Amino acid sequence: MNLLGRYGIWVGIAIVGASCWGVLALSQGETINAGWLLFAALASYAIAYRFYARFIRDRVLGTDDSRATPAERLNNGRDFEPMDRRVLFGHHFAAIAGAGPLVGPVLAAQMGFLPGTIWIIVGVILAGAVQDMTTLFFSMRRDGKSLGQMAREEIGPVGGAAALIAVLSIMVILLAVLALVVVNALAASPWGAFSLAMTLPIAVLMGVYLRFLRPGRVLEVSLIGIGLLILAIIGGGWISESSPYAEAWTFTPNQLTFALIVYGFVASVLPVWVLLAPRDYLSTFMKIGTIALLAVGIAITLPPMNMPRFTEFAFNGQGPVFAGALFPFVFIIIACGALSGFHALVASGTTPKLIQKESQVRPIGYGAMLVESFVAVMAMIAAVTLDPGVYFAMNANPALLGDTVQSASQAVNGFGFSVSPQTLQSTANAVGEDSIVGRTGGAPTLAVGISAIFAGVTGIFGAALQAFWYHFAIMFEALFILTTVDAGTRVGRFMIQDLIGNVWRPFARPSWLPGNIIASALIVAGWGYFLWAGVNDPLGGINQLFPLFGIANQLLAAVALTVGTTILIKMGKFRYAWVTGLPLAWDAAVTLTASWQKIFSTDPAIGFFAQRAAAQQSIQAGQLNDTMAALGAASIDDARQILVNTTVDGVLSIVFAVAIIIVIADASRMWFGIIRGSKEPELSEAPWQESHLDSEGNEIEREPVGAR
Amino acid sequence: MANPVRAIWDYLKEISGENAYDRYLAIHAATHPGKPPMSRGEYYRARQDEKYANPGSRCP
Repeated sequence: MNLLGRYGIWVGIAIVGASCWGVLALSQGETINAGWLLFAALASYAIAYRFYARFIRDRVLGTDDSRATPAERLNNGRDFEPMDRRVLFGHHFAAIAGAGPLVGPVLAAQMGFLPGTIWIIVGVILAGAVQDMTTLFFSMRRDGKSLGQMAREEIGPVGGAAALIAVLSIMVILLAVLALVVVNALAASPWGAFSLAMTLPIAVLMGVYLRFLRPGRVLEVSLIGIGLLILAIIGGGWISESSPYAEAWTFTPNQLTFALIVYGFVASVLPVWVLLAPRDYLSTFMKIGTIALLAVGIAITLPPMNMPRFTEFAFNGQGPVFAGALFPFVFIIIACGALSGFHALVASGTTPKLIQKESQVRPIGYGAMLVESFVAVMAMIAAVTLDPGVYFAMNANPALLGDTVQSASQAVNGFGFSVSPQTLQSTANAVGEDSIVGRTGGAPTLAVGISAIFAGVTGIFGAALQAFWYHFAIMFEALFILTTVDAGTRVGRFMIQDLIGNVWRPFARPSWLPGNIIASALIVAGWGYFLWAGVNDPLGGINQLFPLFGIANQLLAAVALTVGTTILIKMGKFRYAWVTGLPLAWDAAVTLTASWQKIFSTDPAIGFFAQRAAAQQSIQAGQLNDTMAALGAASIDDARQILVNTTVDGVLSIVFAVAIIIVIADASRMWFGIIRGSKEPELSEAPWQESHLDSEGNEIEREPVGAR
Repeated sequence: MANPVRAIWDYLKEISGENAYDRYLAIHAATHPGKPPMSRGEYYRARQDEKYANPGSRCP
């Protein structure tokens, strides 16, 4: 084999990738073009997929295509069914990609574009995609067992219980954070509120059509739905321009919170075909379509990145978007796109039951995660192409920014960036909003970035339409966040019904209405509380809740990587245990450091308990002390609110940290036992059976009995 | 498959589950000869109820 012919192209890709990275890291120019970032990412992914993912497939996991997968052995035409790898790739990607990779990078952009980008790309290659691929493989070898079941069987009941706590609490925090993003995006925006509200009748219409009129015609109804969505966005523009209607559609954050809580409860109790299923189709197509458009848009416009490589906030930890230094907080804030424990739930549920061939865990597990990472890179690009002054005026703690463009401009100057009040106002006018100041949560920032890129493309044809594109992006994010809220509430509801069902039988039946209502109410009350607390947090809810969400997500990743390492050791592959072991060590270091700072830091901007102490002092003294005032509290009532919030958040941080330590300690007992030889490695794999499918899923002629 | 639009449309059809019913008919005819299969509506409703009765999870 001609070595140059075989590897020449890879040497070329490596050189291109390295040059792009070189420009990103070292270029002395004023601003760097986003194209360098795009190509650095693509070249890195290609090399990782070709070499590292292949190494994991062949050496570490040792996939065996002569072994029948559960989809083939247990094929029932329903949940077990060999599915074409390209189709399964689409399904798996749609299931893992949500709002997470869009929000995290936007928040992390306050430290400059480089730290977040490096973590997104290096993290996905060495940790995130590895986690998804190995979890998928191990679950597939166990007939599609869930992460919780695997943790219980491979580590022990303690590990299993910790996994369950992680899953339930991450669900509650996640739903609250996402709902908070929607509230921040729609508050005081009649255009956004109207077009999102219109998605409800559109979904019901689609649901009726799919269920009764033309059952199963998913594509035609999705096209109708997308057409109606675009009409709803245009209609929102008219609403916002006619004052009586605009007033009727202008909501305060608390009104939106109430509406979301009621909505979440109703959507969870109703049959799925009314809202959830049609919304699922709609948001999946919107998601894939918008991501594809964004990739094309960035490639056409090649915008310059206006944010510097690093800002001082990367080192001093005083960032106005969220507090804390580069290590560990970049790695907490950017979870999805680099390493997301949530994916381990998808990779150990539906997908492993549909894989045709064992070796396909590489394109589906590793490949789909690379694409998700690419989405995160694009979100980062959209955020850093904004004027940094506009970025900080949108994302900083609203208490510091004040209400007017003048006060915001002054505050931004205080952060060391500059933006004129006129720029803030004209940006708001361009996207069709009254104000963009203090629009935290990431979604509005991303929407401004996306709309600038799309307007750049449509501008070529003579119409920039930036306000339309802004609300298109807001609608797209809000739509699939709401779909996650629906689906997540339902998943949580089933988990609670299952839990209580262990104690009291009738509860376990999903269709039992009282059980349904009680469990739905419990889960909605859980995230509803955090949402309400976040919306009314005097210090800005996102900067308090988002790190907590990141920690919970990385806790789940720690569980998945621990399970993976345990299974590798049990398989006698101790030599390769570093493949999951090193990401685990990194994840544990990051998560525990972040938890440590959140619990013990004496800096009241970071430590929950330091903040709590300052609030308590203020309440006892009857007046705000300097610390509280510097954080942005305005009254004693604010201090009371902060006291409650920090207590809850602090206790949660402790629970997460303890859960991680327990899981790893419990598993390492097992590891050392096996390595020393005092424990028998018991693998719970399903036994080997010969496969009769080829790699395209066609039946292979069976050899006559006795021929072998 | 020379036409890329056609190819994308077919892929979307496969991914959205529109083709699932046709495959079901084939499998049903092979495994339960003589038994009448479900109609498209019945099949679709059964699949939908089943899918969400046992929800997986998705990423944020």
